[in-house]
Amino acid sequence: MTKILTQHFDNPKYHELETYRSLGGYEALAKARNMTPQAVADEVKKSNLRGLGGAGFPTGMKWGTVPPVEKAPERFVVTNADESEPGCFKDRVLMTLAPHQMIEGLLIACHAIQAKWGFIFIRGEYADQYDVLKKAIAEMEAAGLSGDVKVRLMRGAGAYICGLDTALLETMEGKKAWPRQPPPFPTVAGLMAKPTVVNNVETLSMLPHIVANGGQWFADIGFKGDPEKKLNPSGGTAVFSISGDVEKPGVYEFPMGTPLKTAIEAAGGVKGGRKLKCVIPGGTSTPPLTAEEVGMSMDFDHPRAFGTFLGAGGIVVLDETRDMVEVAHNIERFLAHESCGQCTPCREGSEWTTRILERIMEGGGVEADLPNLQRVGENITGKVICALGDTVGVVVRGYMKKFPDDFKKRIPTPTAPANPLPAAAGAQSAERRDAIPQK
Amino acid sequence: MSQATTAAPFTPEQQKELQGWTTYYPYPIMGLLEAMRSVQTWHRCIKPEDVVYLAELFKTSVSHVHQVATFFPMFTQRPAGKHRFGICHGLSCAIAGSNKISKCLEKTLGVREHETTADGAFSWEEMECIGACDFAPALLVDEHLKGKATEEAVAKLAKELK
Repeated sequence: MTKILTQHFDNPKYHELETYRSLGGYEALAKARNMTPQAVADEVKKSNLRGLGGAGFPTGMKWGTVPPVEKAPERFVVTNADESEPGCFKDRVLMTLAPHQMIEGLLIACHAIQAKWGFIFIRGEYADQYDVLKKAIAEMEAAGLSGDVKVRLMRGAGAYICGLDTALLETMEGKKAWPRQPPPFPTVAGLMAKPTVVNNVETLSMLPHIVANGGQWFADIGFKGDPEKKLNPSGGTAVFSISGDVEKPGVYEFPMGTPLKTAIEAAGGVKGGRKLKCVIPGGTSTPPLTAEEVGMSMDFDHPRAFGTFLGAGGIVVLDETRDMVEVAHNIERFLAHESCGQCTPCREGSEWTTRILERIMEGGGVEADLPNLQRVGENITGKVICALGDTVGVVVRGYMKKFPDDFKKRIPTPTAPANPLPAAAGAQSAERRDAIPQK
Repeated sequence: MSQATTAAPFTPEQQKELQGWTTYYPYPIMGLLEAMRSVQTWHRCIKPEDVVYLAELFKTSVSHVHQVATFFPMFTQRPAGKHRFGICHGLSCAIAGSNKISKCLEKTLGVREHETTADGAFSWEEMECIGACDFAPALLVDEHLKGKATEEAVAKLAKELK
């Protein structure tokens, strides 16, 4: 099985510069610096590399929208190391075990768009990874590898929304993390209104390998697309985070196009031999899949037919004991908490959705609740500035569509009295300021 | 730096560090987030006089600095504990029993969520996904991952850090 990013993970010193170089590290950077920036960008285009932070936008295409350096000499590359999507931890592992792989990728990207500053915006909760990167950057600079690029770290302060590129840029500008409404897109006007390429940790980590082996090699490893079925290619591999009810949670790398069930099997299958009920494919913002849908190919296009998307590859496995109303509530509560508050439908709708689900969980569900959740969701998705708001509406409807029985059984029929179910494991405490007293 | 009407709320060394953040990035205002982080570390919160000082240092309005100080969960308006315990209650951690650990933290540390112990040593909070789903339910102390949370681990840390 082809491994690109994780191939040296069993080497305990891979994070050290000497070991990284002994295994070929920073040779790709030297090769890239001997190519024109355009030539590097062309290889990345050819590779079909798509953004691995969740949006899956073709990286070469994104770079191509940066204005020419004559028109806008000052430009930046920002590494998005704000990994905060529930279920995702692959960037944490990539930074811990292979910091130089990412730094080399950052420097290659700087060369490709002729940026003189390369930033790494890392979430504050990754303090250990911040220390690792600080050391690695110092090693890299001491070895004279930075060229004319200044690499700077910046730590986040606990907001999930900072993982969104425009909110990240607002934060880097010393403001609260309110997403912007493009256009202009960051590549045209980003950090301090200068052209800025924001790329995920994993996306940048792929660049040394693409430069070393060529874009075609990378494209051949992945899913080559299917024009008849209107499926675009997804090049190379992806590193998936697998957690939840599995025997061996951890990160696992697979070529694009691998079936989801292969990933679940690699992680040891469902814990305790229980029956599979639900799989979240790409982090909790992605709509769920039923147990019958695990044959789905993991790339950026096949999941559409299943009503979901690959996202950042945070696979969460849920067994037969899990209740989907509680799962949907956990995710909506997260989104309500993380909503920046800028757009009324998201700010109000996320709290509203969360409270309806809480009331249903505590046995106070009424018939109007399910169509109401549907209606509230429809009035948020597509009517807000950013994808977080879209997600608020999409998530609850996704669980209602794929697991209708979990919801229906909580709603009393007109002739039957309300029947509060016992609190299951993981249920939230009832001590909230708007707790509904049990009948 | 112009003269403030009140004494600066920072020692000369701290002032030097804050000044450093205005030149670390290509544009001075970009240093505000890290500077505020330094203040949170020293004062365990962002006080009104800190906001005024930072506004003057970064040549921006008090309102702007206040917005940043109140938007991000890391920054508090009242002192957090010297050691901040965080138990993740994201999905993978919730299904692994994070709720039990929340109750354990309340019992062991003797304060409710977001409250600080009388001696200022500890506070705890439920956190959103901290990217440690492979260690569910995951425990974070002062932004360092302490692995899988158990009642024994919590008790041990509370003793060690006192």
